[in-house]
Parts: sequence; structure tokens; C-alpha cells
Amino acid sequence: MKDTLIALDGVWKIYKMGEVEVPALRGVDVDINKGDFVAIIGASGSGKSTMMNLVGCLDLPSKGKIFLKSKDITTLPESDLAALRGRTIGFIFQQYNLLQNMTAFENVLLPLELQDMGDGKASERAKEVLKLVGLSDKMHNRPSQLSGGEQQRVSIARSLVGDPEIILADEPTGALDSVTGREVIETLYRLWKDEGKTVIMVTHDLHLAEYAHTHIELKDGKIIKIAKNEKQKKPRG
Amino acid sequence: MKLHKCLKHAFSMVMHSKLRSWLTILGIVIGVASVIAIVSIGEGMQAEMESRMSTMAGDILTLSAGYSRGASMFGPPGEGGGDRGGGSGGKATKESEKIVVDKTDVQALKSIAEILLINPQIRGNANISYMGQEGSVSVTGIDQKVWSQITTDNLKEGRFLDSADKNVIVIGSSLAESFFDHPLGINQVLTIEGRSFRIVGILDDDSRSIYMPIQAAYTVIEDKDMDVYDSVTIKIKDEDQLNETMTKIEKKLMIIRHVTAKTKDFSLTSSKLMAATREAMLSTLNTFLLAIAAVSLIVGAVGVANTMFTSVLEKTKDIGIMKAIGARNSDIMLIFLFNAALIGLVGGILGIVLGSILSGLLPTLFGSTMMLRGGTLVSLNSVLLAIAVSVGVGVIAGAIPAYQASKLKPVDALRYE
Repeated sequence: MKDTLIALDGVWKIYKMGEVEVPALRGVDVDINKGDFVAIIGASGSGKSTMMNLVGCLDLPSKGKIFLKSKDITTLPESDLAALRGRTIGFIFQQYNLLQNMTAFENVLLPLELQDMGDGKASERAKEVLKLVGLSDKMHNRPSQLSGGEQQRVSIARSLVGDPEIILADEPTGALDSVTGREVIETLYRLWKDEGKTVIMVTHDLHLAEYAHTHIELKDGKIIKIAKNEKQKKPRG
Repeated sequence: MKLHKCLKHAFSMVMHSKLRSWLTILGIVIGVASVIAIVSIGEGMQAEMESRMSTMAGDILTLSAGYSRGASMFGPPGEGGGDRGGGSGGKATKESEKIVVDKTDVQALKSIAEILLINPQIRGNANISYMGQEGSVSVTGIDQKVWSQITTDNLKEGRFLDSADKNVIVIGSSLAESFFDHPLGINQVLTIEGRSFRIVGILDDDSRSIYMPIQAAYTVIEDKDMDVYDSVTIKIKDEDQLNETMTKIEKKLMIIRHVTAKTKDFSLTSSKLMAATREAMLSTLNTFLLAIAAVSLIVGAVGVANTMFTSVLEKTKDIGIMKAIGARNSDIMLIFLFNAALIGLVGGILGIVLGSILSGLLPTLFGSTMMLRGGTLVSLNSVLLAIAVSVGVGVIAGAIPAYQASKLKPVDALRYE
């Protein structure tokens, strides 16, 4: 039996638009196991990004509880949530979200600086992951001097540098061409398969979701289907 | 995040918004420079005042003809002040009659037991010549019997005048050293209005004055009536009884001169009391000027706050990213506070430099009119205070924006475009 890494228990997220309350998630219950590759799929407005924000401890639910490694994160203060995010979760965003005034190396180094890692060790580790994503030669370039694919590889390197258990990817190929997008999804697959990371990917692209092991399908803020992907796609070569 | 890392990121923020940061820094520079310049003027005036007061004897009074309530307030005795033509009654009953201090007044003073010494003086300009060169300087005739005991000047060389002296003089060191091509020394002879005088003493000052026995002075200074004095210096016996003695002298003189308090036609001043009054006035003036300078510093602080609010808005997405990858509220707060403090610090340092340059230029520009003959003084205390204030202003102005930045919810900040 697999360990439950993340559990959502009756989670509601309601946004207030003036006087009107708009529920983005409506009583979601789901367990995500350690070492799983999960694709959260659904149409636009189904609540995918809201669910990712909650799973990534970037937001708190209006109702219900979220457990990360059996710890109820809804009761944690912001400083503990920040520490938890830094150590447990690596984020990959659709728009890369790199800090524009820093080089690739500095962007990758930043999570380790936030964790107070020693300079020498942090620098070594940042170079190591940049090498892993094939950007050793461009580590001193700023994001504006990198292509979209290269920026996303910096983003992946940043998500990996702290060796987190969970990789959370929000539409990771959304801003990339098909070839670069495939490279990124194959990288995620390898992180799951070879490194044993728990990968949670939000996507509306069903072709991309084929690489995932488990599908969670959302519609109108509710989970309509949780299923193992029997036809999981593997990277070529 | 470690403090030095927060500082590094704050520095990077300043460097990546150069123009806005420098404009904000300029606001602080102007504020601090104004404060430094004004404080340095104040401290220069204070130092000048203290230096003057240290040479003033508390037991010396000066009597001169004429009276006004602001007599001699802004200059040492003899340099200006008293309304010599004012007043009426007594020796001034007729408008055509000149108001003077003369032998009768001195006789009256001699009868006051609290007075130790009396030195009547006359003052004027005279032409001098030495080794074919000529010039005009100030000549003061003094009572040589008491001058050495009543003057606050010190000798550099030679001796003061004594009772047996007639055609001898004591001169200021500037006259001795640099007035003529050839310096003047002890026992050398100087021609004053065609008469020869031997130099017996050189004062330790930087004046071009000549002091000679009063009887001799009547012969070289034009338009001076015998036994009429420009001023009388009085040394009293007990400095602690200054006010009482002054009152007594004034009463006596009013009787002799047939005047009342309303028609008083003479001035009796204590240089020390006047210096104290002047010091109090300067202190009030300094406080006023400092308050004006402080306003520009407050404007600078508003600039810092404005820049920081703009910076928080501009960096909202970056704040979201940093929070997503593990930055705590305190990390974000410290980065923005350090950013504001850096702006304050750089502004403070540049303000001190500009303020020091300004305060160095002021005596040259306004020296004679602003009592800055002693120069300005930028003290270590004012430098340290300026740095502390500018950093403090930065931190205070940046506190609310920094707090606002730290409290941003990561999900909202990430969504910000």
C-alpha cells in the first residue's frame, strides 16, 4: 500500500467577487500518493489552478483540510508554510516565473539561500542542477538572454535544487513550442521515474496528460474522475 | 534568509532601478546637505562665540556716548552699535551740542568704590609710513597707566605701554608682519602723521591696530577734542557684583549728565552679557533654520516612501515568486527595509559631502555678513547624526511599504501582472 503524501479532505475554495461568492472548488476529496505522477486535467475554469495553489501551500482553503505528509497545513502560520514550500515542493510555472534581474545561476541559487545553506555547498548544488538541465554554459545569462525552452529548464533546475519530494508543474509546456514542450514533459517523466519524485502536473492538454500515471479530472470545481492511466506514455529513446 | 543575503538582494534592487533610486537619493541628499550646512554654520558661530567669550573678561564694562536699546548687540564694543547722536537732556539738551563722554564722567566714575580701573580711549585712523611706504591704519589712544591691566590682548613680543611712556606704541601682529614689505620689529620707528614713534610691543593678534598713550593720540588723530573720549573701559572689582555695579554706575552717570532713564544719552555695556544675549539669539536662529532644513528632509522621506510603494507594486510578482520558493514574510520585509535604508545611507553620505562643501563655501560668500569669520564646523557628531537620521528616515519611510510587501499572499502576488 502506497503512502499518502497529500490529502484533500472536503476542500472548498470560494472567491468573493464583490458581493458575489464564486466557488472554485466544491468539496474536493483526494489522496495523492508518494511517488505518483498525477495529471490534474479539466477544462478552463474547472478549478485546476486553484487546486494546484492549495496543494502547493500557496493558498488556504475556505473550508476543509489539507494534509501534507500527515500535517494539516491549514493550521500552520505563514512562516511555517514558507519553510514547507521551500523544502518540500518545487514549482514549475507556465510563464517560468524567473526573477528578471538575476542570472540563471542566481535564480537557481535563490531557494538554497532562502534555506540558509552555506555559500560553497549551495553554489556547487546550483551548478550541478544547471548541468543536469544542460545549461552549464548559460548559467550567467539573464532570463531575457535565454529562449523560452531554456528559461523553463532554468525553472526546472530551480525546482530541483532543494531536492524536494514534490514537483508541482502548472501548464509547464503552455508557453513552449511542441518540440521544447516534449523535452520538458520528458524531463518531468524522468524525474518521476528515475528520481522517485512525486510529480503533480496541471494541464488542459490531454496529450501531455498521457505521460502521467494518474489522472484527476475536474469539472466545475468537483472531481469527476480519478483513474490510473493504463496507457501511460513513455519518452522516446 | 541570512541578513547579508537580504542586504545583497536589497542592493541588487537599488542597482536595478537606478534612475528612480537616484532621484529618491537626491531628495535625501538635499535634506541632509541642508541640515549639515546649517548645523555647521551654527557650530561655527558657536565656536566663534566661545572663542570670543573666552577672551572677554566678565569684569570689564564699556561706556560710550549715545544710547539705543539695541546698542552694540551685533558687534564688539567700539565697532558700532550705540546711537551716538540720539538722546536728549543733560549734555544733549541742545541739538547742536555733541553728545560725548568726557573728563567729568571719568571723574564721576573715580568716585565709585566698586570700580578698580578706568581706561579712557580715543580711536581714529591715521596715516603711517615706514621705509618709504605709506598706509592708513586704526590708532587707539589709551591710558598707558592702566591699559596693561585692563586689556584682554596678549603680547607676542616686547611689552605693554607704561606710565612713563610718551612717543612709543604697541602694534598688532598683522601690521608688524605683513602691512609693509619689510616687517616691523621691536625698537623700530614708525612715522604716524609725521611724528615718529618707537615700537615697544607687538600684540598676539591678527590686527593692524596701533595703541599709543592717549595724549600722543590727540596729536595724531584728527578732530579729537582734548579730554573727550570715544569710550571708557572700566574694570570692576567684583565680577559677581556685575549687575549691581552697572546699576550704580548708570545711576551716577545719569545724575552727572542730568538725564533720566528715558533720556539716557550713554551706553554702558558688558561684553560678556551681550555675548550671552547674542548667543541665545543665535541659538534661536539656528533652531529656526534647522526646522526649515528638517522640512526638506521630511520631503526626502516622503520620496523614499513613494519609491518604496512603487517598488513594492513593481516587484509584486517577484515577491510572489520568492514566497513560492520559500521566502518568509520576514525575508521580504528585511529586503525592502534594507533597500530603503540603503537609499537613506547613500543619500546621507552624499548629503554630508555636499553639505560640507556648502558649509566650506558659505564663509567665503557671506563671511562678513553672517558672523562666519570663525568659519563653519562640520563635527563628527553632526556627521554621525546625519547618517543615523538619513538611514532612520529611510527605514521609517520604507517600513509600511516593506510590511505591505511581506504580507502579500503568494497566490495573489503570483497572479499580479
